[in-house]
Amino acid sequence: MGVMDYFTSVPSMTADEAKKFLAEKKPDEYNLIDVRQPGEYEGDHIPGANLIPMSELKSRLQEIDPDKPTVVY
Amino acid sequence: MLLGSGLKNVYSMEGGIRAWKGMVAHGLPEAGMAYFSPAANAEEVVGLAWALEEGSGLFYQGLSKHFSSDAEAQKMFSWLVTAEKNHEKHLLETYETLVGARPDFEKLRVKFSDKLSGTVMEGGILVEEALAWVKDKGVSEGLEVAIALEVNAYDLYVKMSRAIDDKQAREIFETLAEEEQVHLEKLSGLLDKRA
Repeated sequence: MGVMDYFTSVPSMTADEAKKFLAEKKPDEYNLIDVRQPGEYEGDHIPGANLIPMSELKSRLQEIDPDKPTVVY
Repeated sequence: MLLGSGLKNVYSMEGGIRAWKGMVAHGLPEAGMAYFSPAANAEEVVGLAWALEEGSGLFYQGLSKHFSSDAEAQKMFSWLVTAEKNHEKHLLETYETLVGARPDFEKLRVKFSDKLSGTVMEGGILVEEALAWVKDKGVSEGLEVAIALEVNAYDLYVKMSRAIDDKQAREIFETLAEEEQVHLEKLSGLLDKRA
């Protein structure tokens, strides 16, 4: 990972596009990651989302299947 | 960070959870998952899931009785009682297909009797507490509780299908998640109709 990666923006999808994307696929065909804090996740989260707070993302990348598309929020 | 990490096709959802108009689940990742060990084998997973389904069946039975004066709601909750029964049956069949034998439920009952035995339902919620809450509520609230239960169960089963090590147990969770989606569609359909 190079320094430029911190400045490259991730492609985005609207919430409606994300909803359609998740509805059309089986849960084992994508990664759905909630990068907020545990308290926020506890309050509400998209069903099936895995909690990996932003601060832990780097150390827990191995929990995300690199071969599947990933939706982050 | 995600782009340079080797992940393919990463998308950020615009507006985050505030923009999300779909269903949401509640609770920390450990909620419900605590019942299942990631190292559990297919037999344990089936046994526990079966016991939780049993709890859900009792909850729907309670709702069906409570809303007996509302024919449409009563029909829906009775259907869910049957659906949970079929779910249990399907769970057994899945297990038998995968493992080639019936799970030893007596052994599992003894092992988990303090936690389960129909007192806890899917999503890790206590049956009695949920029924007590719904006592002075209307059909819409009853449907909302049922939806919350099913969403949390779906959430749990999807996460377990990703977390569990055993391939056969993983397949069981995937099947369970798919079936919860069907329950959710039916319940949401009636709630939309009533709204």
